[in-house]
Parts: sequence; C-alpha cells; structure tokens
Amino acid sequence: MSYTGEAFLGLMPELISTAFLIAVLMVGVFAERSAGLVASLAALGALVTFVGTAVLLFIGFEGEFFGGGYVVDGFALYFKLIVSGSAFFAVLAAARWSSGTGDAAEYLMLILSVVLGAMLLVSMRDLFGIFLALELATIPSYAMVAFDRRRRESAEGGMKYLITGVIASSILLYGMVLIYGVAGSAQLPDIARAFSGSLTPVALIGLVLLISGFAFKVSAAPFHFWTPDAYQGAPTSAAAFLSVAPKAAIFGVLLRILLEGMPGAAPVWTVVMAFLSIVTMFVGNLFALRQRNVRRMLAYSSVAHSGYILAAFAALQGDAVPTGVQAVMIYSAAYAVMNMGAFLVIDLAGEEVKGYNGLFRTRPGLAISMGVFMAALVGLPPLSGFFGKAWVLLAGAQSGSGLVYVVVGAVVVNSVLSVPYYFGIIRNMFFEEPSGGETAGEGGFAVEFSVYTLAAATVIFALIVGPLAALAQASGLL
Amino acid sequence: MPPIVQQVIDALTATPPLAGYLVVGAIMFAIGTWGALIRRNAVVVFMCVELMINAVNLTLVAFGDFLPGEGGLGASYAVLVIAIAAAEIAVGLAIVLAVFRSRRTVNIDEVNTMRG
Repeated sequence: MSYTGEAFLGLMPELISTAFLIAVLMVGVFAERSAGLVASLAALGALVTFVGTAVLLFIGFEGEFFGGGYVVDGFALYFKLIVSGSAFFAVLAAARWSSGTGDAAEYLMLILSVVLGAMLLVSMRDLFGIFLALELATIPSYAMVAFDRRRRESAEGGMKYLITGVIASSILLYGMVLIYGVAGSAQLPDIARAFSGSLTPVALIGLVLLISGFAFKVSAAPFHFWTPDAYQGAPTSAAAFLSVAPKAAIFGVLLRILLEGMPGAAPVWTVVMAFLSIVTMFVGNLFALRQRNVRRMLAYSSVAHSGYILAAFAALQGDAVPTGVQAVMIYSAAYAVMNMGAFLVIDLAGEEVKGYNGLFRTRPGLAISMGVFMAALVGLPPLSGFFGKAWVLLAGAQSGSGLVYVVVGAVVVNSVLSVPYYFGIIRNMFFEEPSGGETAGEGGFAVEFSVYTLAAATVIFALIVGPLAALAQASGLL
Repeated sequence: MPPIVQQVIDALTATPPLAGYLVVGAIMFAIGTWGALIRRNAVVVFMCVELMINAVNLTLVAFGDFLPGEGGLGASYAVLVIAIAAAEIAVGLAIVLAVFRSRRTVNIDEVNTMRG
C-alpha cells in the first residue's frame, strides 16, 4: 500500500513535465511573439524534470502505485533521465528554428508531450497503460516530423511515418489483447503466471504480434522502411530527439514486458530477437553505405544501432540476464549522447556529404566534434559507443548459447562494415579541400553549445560508465 | 411449432461462444491489414486502420465479457482504445491535409520525393 503523498513524490517528474507542458502552451497562446520566452520555459521544464528524476534516483525512491499498474524503480528512473536529458538538448536545438516557424510553442509542446509519454511508458506495468503511454509518445512525434512547412519532404516523411505507425500500433494492440485474453489480466505479474510452461497457439500469436509492433517502433528490420524518410523529412531537432529518447524508453519497456511479463517464454522470444537483431544490423549498415545524404545515412545508422541493442535482448538467457539488462541500459545512454550530437551537427554543417569537405579548415571545433561522434558510432575504445558494444559482447559471451554467439559475431562483422561510411565523413572533413560555397549554418549558439556539450559527454563517457553500470546493477528489474 | 423452427430460434438466441467473437475479430483484422497494405489512397488506408482497431476492440470486449472476475475491465480498456484511435486519426488527417495542400494528391505512390 502507498499513501497519496508518496504517489505524488513518485510521479513528481511526470507532474513537473505536465506543468511545464501546459505553461508552454498557455504562454504561446496568450503572449504571441514570445518564442524566446517559450523556448527558455521548455528548456527549463526539461531541466527541472531531469533534476527531479535525478533526486528520486539519488534518494533511492521506489514504489508501486495505482494497484501495481505503475512502478517507480531505479530502472524506470534511469530511462527517464535519458529521456528528459535528451529533451533538454532537443529544446535548445529547436529554439531558434522553431521561432522562425511562428509556432514555437506548439512545436516545443510536442517535444514535452513526447517526454511525458516516454517517461510514463517506462513506469507502466499494465499492458493497456503501456499502450496508452506509447501512443502519448508517438502521436505527437508524427506531428513533429511533419512540422516543417517550408520543406515538402517534411509532410511526406510525416505521412509515411504516420501510416506505418498507426498500422504498427494496431498490430501491437492486437497482440496485447490476445495476451490479455490468454492471461486473464493485463498486469505483467499475472501474465508471467500464464506464460510459464508451453505456450498455446493464441499466446504465441499474441507474443509475435507484440514483438512485431515493438520492432516497428524501434525501426528494426524488416519493419524499418519508415525510418529514413521520416528522419530525412523531419526538422533536425525532431530527428535527433526521436531517434534517441522514445526509442530508449521503448527498449526499456520492452525489457520490462519480456522479463517481468513473460520470463517463462524466454526460449521463444530470445530466438525471435536474435533473428531480428541480425537482419536489422545488416540492413541498416548495407543501406547506410550507399547514402550521400547525412540525415539518411544517420537514419540507417540508427536502424543498425537498434540491431546492436536487440543483440543484447537475444542474450537475455541463463546467467547473462543481469549483464544483458546492463547492456541495454548502458547502450541506450551511450547512443543518446553520440547520435543526438551527430544529428545536431547537420543544423550547423548541412546535410550533403560533400558539404563536409574541408570542414576542419573552416570550422575546426565542429569538425573535431563530428569526428568524435562518428568514431563513437563506430565504437572506437575511449568513446561512448565502445562501452555499449562491449557490454553487448560481454552479455553474449555469458549467455552460452550457440545462436547468440552467431549474433555476437554479426555485431563484430557489422562494426567493421560500418567503418567506411562513418570514416568517409571524417576523411572528407580532414583531408579534402573545402568545396567553396557557404554551408548551411542556421544553427546558432544554442545548437553549437549542445553539440560541444554532447561531444564532451561522448569523450568522458568512460568516466561515468562505472557509476552507470552500478546504477544499472541496482536498477530493481530482477 | 415444428421442432426445426424451435432449434433455429434457440441457435439464434443462445449466447455465441467466445471462439465465435474471436474468429470474427481475426477475420476483420485480417481484412483491415490487407486493405491498409494494398490501398494507395491515404484516407482509405486510415479507414482500413479503423477496421483493424475495431476488430481489436471486438476481441477485447469479448475477452472482457468472458473472463472470470474481470468486472468490466475489458470494456473500459476498449473505451481507452477508442479515444486513442480518434487521436491518431485526428493527427493523421491533419498531416494528409498538409500533404494534399503541397502536392494536390493523397496517393501514397505519388508522394515519393525521397528514395534510397
């Protein structure tokens, strides 16, 4: 049992972000021509949410609310930190661009509602609550992608994202309903009782539909085809934010569903995850190799990175479960800093690969930051991406299953495969002559600040990976 | 009354088993998915998605009614799902309208400036 006061404390990050969401919308309505005020309010909201979550994590707050349907534990708080932290940088990056659209309040409000949905999502322990929070995170993201009225690609990307997204949501929902019918309850602990022993055909169909729906949402192949169009059409801040924050939350809730809701069915879903992971990695990297547009290349790269994270899901068996959970958590944080930074560079240096020629001569700081992000995405040792991959490989090695060894092999092969397109950009920046012609630089100071901060975080990730691993260890899941 | 008529009346008034609802729901869902994947008009695709969601709702309400000790939870979940579907379609039609304004078409095949 819990008291109302405790529930308020547990819901504090969500309440804070809701309050700021409403405030942003109200200021936007009553004070037109106030883009600066709205942006600072939204950034403050993301920051206060981050601090609130950090305080809860620091005091070791844990609790279950609303009949066990909502749980606040270290695991959920960790993902809330990733979501609200990346929202802060997304708001900074969006501040100047959105004031140019004339609808700054609406755009920033959409970012905050994705934050709210993603934060609720990782705390839900009830299938329909999960669906509700997932839709709260994804419906605003369709609008974010289609928000840029000056570029025709934006509405097109939004429409493609929307159509595939709603079909995926229906499939996911059908899977949830079948699981609910089989288990007789939508709460994960009750489902765990029904999913022990051998599965009935209906339960198996439900599980497969559920995983397919989530695969759409994290852009795993063969359900990835919306990703490049959506990210290419979206405003840069939207692509940077959506490729990181909702995705991390969805990986978190998928981990919770699979480990708390159906540990008995692990032999089935680890095999599904293994195949999804292998296909996703190869599709992402092979398509990324042919891209001449940096946004599209990073979109395919995000598909590939989903594959690496899914490899950790395949390893969730036997003794490797704690390491696998740690791998997903650390990879999500590492990926958040490096991928967000790489996307935001587009706002400063343009989206054509040629535009990066000789960037080191013209803007050395920016070129070094982009070089750091690219090297981190490959997984070079002192940078953040290395630790994500290292934990995935460690989990795979501990699992002791032949299929997982194959997946781990595919991770290594794909890391090598991804070198040409990441290093192609580094080569263009450092060894090519500037191609002349001023590159698109509509970013401004806030974007530069975000890029340099994220580059610094990518470099010093080695220092915080120890505490992160300890946090993941004590996260409360398992 | 001849016994055959009585049998027909009994069959019509008896509560159908759970399996009946599930089969109808599965068929509706399959038709909706098929339509959503092959139709090229974005608005028709949304109609097919509505069919999918309604199939899910039928299944959900049937489960909610037949499960022991559920006390109408299934039906209340269905109300949530209806609200979410409405929100999805509202955003969806707005985006389709934005596409139509810039291109004068809502055919998915003709909206393809991005490739690769």
